[in-house]
Amino acid sequence: MILPAFEYKKAEDVASAIALYEKAKGQARYLAGGTDLVPLVKLRLSTPGTLIDLKGIEQLKTLSSQRGSLVIGPNVTLFEFKNHELVRDYFPALWESLEATSCETLQMRGTIGGNLLQNTRCLLYNKSLEWRTARGFCYKMGGETCNVVPKATACFSNYCSDNALSLLSLGASLKLAGPEGERKVKLEKIFSGNGRDPFTLKPGEILTEIRVPLKKSAGAYEKLRVRNAIDYPLLGVAVSIQDGKGRVCVGGIGPAPKVYDLKDLSGAGLKEVAEQARQEARPVANTTLSAGYRKKMVQVLTERAIKRAMKEGK
Amino acid sequence: MKSIKVSFRVNDEPVAFQVKPYETLLETLRERLDLIGSKEACGLGSCGACTVLVDGIPLRSCLVLTPEVDGASITTVEGLARDGNLHPLQESFMEKGAVQCGFCTSGMIMTAKALLDRNPKPTQKDVVKTMSSNICRCTGYKKIVEAVLDAAAKGTSKG
Repeated sequence: MILPAFEYKKAEDVASAIALYEKAKGQARYLAGGTDLVPLVKLRLSTPGTLIDLKGIEQLKTLSSQRGSLVIGPNVTLFEFKNHELVRDYFPALWESLEATSCETLQMRGTIGGNLLQNTRCLLYNKSLEWRTARGFCYKMGGETCNVVPKATACFSNYCSDNALSLLSLGASLKLAGPEGERKVKLEKIFSGNGRDPFTLKPGEILTEIRVPLKKSAGAYEKLRVRNAIDYPLLGVAVSIQDGKGRVCVGGIGPAPKVYDLKDLSGAGLKEVAEQARQEARPVANTTLSAGYRKKMVQVLTERAIKRAMKEGK
Repeated sequence: MKSIKVSFRVNDEPVAFQVKPYETLLETLRERLDLIGSKEACGLGSCGACTVLVDGIPLRSCLVLTPEVDGASITTVEGLARDGNLHPLQESFMEKGAVQCGFCTSGMIMTAKALLDRNPKPTQKDVVKTMSSNICRCTGYKKIVEAVLDAAAKGTSKG
């Protein structure tokens, strides 16, 4: 598949990347591993005038523990991150979600920053330009309709990061740098809930740091998919338990993950959260598995993930 | 669009080109260097038929822009044979019948080579996990796993 024309610029540091972005007057996209972006550009779903390569920025590649936090540079590859000595020991949910992400080869190229900021997906969106033109453009392509749900007023595309769910369950926070300066946000604040434009990042902002409190946890990640490799999640559930309190994250359905507190670690509390998660899930027919099946599986996988996490916690 | 000057090594030979910024590494290998062992199947990073090693790391060359590999060292399936002798992985793939239509094979071999380079004695589980990065539409996975284990047992002296 042939790429459309664009300029390629390599940034030396964060400031020069932002300067390059401003020079391109909003017609630029940041490039890290490219495993999400390049297919989107090939399918003409993203049409940047310039790609600004962030891979040369040393500051974004560090991975270290600092004053009670694990600090992760967004350009750390998923494979490197997975094999870091602290991850498996401290954050089992995160280790399992990294392990479940795509396949080894793509983990070696894809970065954790790119994984968090990947675009939402839909069976009727991630298609060639010819296919989409024949079908008619939907909300996410700039049209005035949803091709999945007739008369829908919003976009139902799915956010398919495995690792956002486990990082949310661990209370991760982010640092962003952009033309208007730096800011810190909790990970849950970056989701707009709008499938057309799923993130609250401002134009030109770069993710510069991911921070996870360095505290031992018990946890698990459950993923629903058709093949055991390469596939995006059709549903994902991450659970982390720290100090007798748990956090459950459900994703892969709709444009933003959902977070639930697990206060009561007894059997009744577990069932209650799993039931609530199922009731609140709004899957539609935009993946290879049916909406009804995915909705039922929300309860099944939530229960399974919590049970596994509790067993590990003992 | 201004073209970009890139230079890198392919199978130990230095090469230099003026490329368009939107040329992929796969296009450069196939169309400028005639290294047509790496195949394009999906073109979207799903299948792994275009896998090559960039500084020893297996990458989908259809997702890599040629300007991104400036200064890197690239190995393709054509660079595996030494002095007229095939690489042990290539021998094992033939002996074990791990090739059906053959379209995925070069990508499979490159993925397997990267595995054996970092873990010369993988278990069957390791091999299955790594080889699941690549898709074979003839679905001959069992023999592919056997071939990789066979090559590992014989010992693939680095190279």
